[in-house]
Amino acid sequence: MGFVPYTTLSSLRTLKCCRLMSMYPPHFAEPILKKDSEIINKKDVSHVPIKAAPNDLSDSIFYGVLKNKLLKYITKKGNGSLAKQLLTDTLETIKRTQIERLNLINAEKENVIIDTERILVNAIENSRPLLQLSEIKRGGVKYQVPIPLTEKKSYFLAMKWLLDAAREKDRKVHLPDKLAWEILDAAHGQGRVIKKKDDLHRQCESNRAYAHYRWS
Amino acid sequence: MSLRVLGLNLIKTNRNLLQTAVKNNGAPNAHAVAMAPYATQVTVQATPAAVQKQKVSKAMKAYLERANEHDEFMKTQHLEFQIGKRHLANMMGADAETFTQQDIDEAINYLFPSGLFDKRARPSMRSPEEVFPARKAAEFDETGRPFHSMFYTGKPNYFQLLHDIVTETNKLNDLEERMLRRGNKPDENQKLEMAGSQLLRKEQLERVLVEHIADIEYQNFTSAMERLIISPYAYKSKAFIERFLKPLIDQSKQLEVPKPKIDEQGRQYVTTYECLRKTARADVTVRLPGTGKITINGQDISYFSLEECREQLLFPLSYSKMLGKVDVEANVEGGGPSGQAGAIRWGIAMSLRSFVDQEMIETMRLAGLLTRDYRRRERKKFGQEGARRKYTWKKR
Repeated sequence: MGFVPYTTLSSLRTLKCCRLMSMYPPHFAEPILKKDSEIINKKDVSHVPIKAAPNDLSDSIFYGVLKNKLLKYITKKGNGSLAKQLLTDTLETIKRTQIERLNLINAEKENVIIDTERILVNAIENSRPLLQLSEIKRGGVKYQVPIPLTEKKSYFLAMKWLLDAAREKDRKVHLPDKLAWEILDAAHGQGRVIKKKDDLHRQCESNRAYAHYRWS
Repeated sequence: MSLRVLGLNLIKTNRNLLQTAVKNNGAPNAHAVAMAPYATQVTVQATPAAVQKQKVSKAMKAYLERANEHDEFMKTQHLEFQIGKRHLANMMGADAETFTQQDIDEAINYLFPSGLFDKRARPSMRSPEEVFPARKAAEFDETGRPFHSMFYTGKPNYFQLLHDIVTETNKLNDLEERMLRRGNKPDENQKLEMAGSQLLRKEQLERVLVEHIADIEYQNFTSAMERLIISPYAYKSKAFIERFLKPLIDQSKQLEVPKPKIDEQGRQYVTTYECLRKTARADVTVRLPGTGKITINGQDISYFSLEECREQLLFPLSYSKMLGKVDVEANVEGGGPSGQAGAIRWGIAMSLRSFVDQEMIETMRLAGLLTRDYRRRERKKFGQEGARRKYTWKKR
């Protein structure tokens, strides 16, 4: 009589590398929004199952991938709504400052960017590092070896530096104000974060002789 | 459970039966061995080759024994299955002769209701051919000489397959070169369409090969197949490739779209029950035409105080450009705000399918609005502070 208890474990093993402990099988694809779906071939994805849209995804005009990522980095102890409030305040401060500047200036009004999203993107792009120094031990001596960064890591570092700079402040100054200043500075290619990035690049340049320790 | 116990008992009795069967089978063999010296005395001098032919190798003998055992086992299993089927048919008051597998499944489901989540863990009764994996027939002759040249690799079928794939690839490469020299181009119309199909998964391939393969071996298979499929002339060996492809279900046509009903005011409406997300449960009614009114448990959208949750509710409506054209009524219970919002969002998206065209349904599916989010809270583990976090390590 064919009584089949759950015996085979082979189905539990996965070949593809996917996020560990994920509830979705590895062949599930990330959600594709309308804007992106113009690029892809609809025929290719018609057979692919899609993961459910996460609860921070939306098609509102205020939605941005980079903004969403920054929100996650601002969040402390899972208080996402507070983080959202802080970021909204930051963007409001930036907008107010930019409009003030626009009104003060007499000529070349086109050069002042009022779009806060663009300012944020510019700031993050400007403060993205290309290389990182990592310690490698060779012959009992530790060398600071420059190593190229992945795109993801460089975005992370840029946002982390911006936030670190914003959190290093007087107790009386609020985070949104300080973050807004840092973002505005970075968007114009100046400030502490840009300096930090340049310092890192300079150090990497001076340690370029050690670069070969990465593979030998 | 009684089924299982019954089965085990039967297997025990089977074993006894089998042992006697093997003993019986052993007797003639012994007889043959005893006969052999007699035969040599009379005829062997003239034809030694003929005698050697009769000699059965140890491997063959062991195999025959095993095969016999397996055959007997399968026979008894089959008998038991037939008896079980008759019993089931009697219990259900149906005709045993026309009792199909589907009837069996229904009967088992009715007689042994199981609350187990995994379908494979629930009791079932299927024919022994399905339950017990197929076995290989003899791979060597009586003298112990293997038929297959790759027998000593241990996995002849697998390596033969790899060999075939490479032969096929080489053939296509040669063809490509010849065509290039002649200045011909591959036929674009006949190009292999791979979007709707997928290579066999490891378990499926193992079933085809009747061999167990390691993960790395499966990887070798997939990469070899990919190399074959990439070739511009892959359509020339379409028949070969299709043996190892499995068609995929078209995701967009998988779920049936419900037909809207008409309410007393003459408006179309669709109700989706059991909208689940985390521990929240909702039922959502969408009415067309409407003014964009949203009612949740008798309140308006201010039922949710968080901005993110309200955004979630509006996501499917604005995404399908139905915002302000339909009315939404939802009853929701259980869970927290984000779970409730997620449940209603799914309900709205599923109901909206009845009021939009097929293309919009597909874009909604691609945005992940029609997928049920079955992620749940991860349980706390013992010896740990939570699901993942460990207790602070103290030496003493």
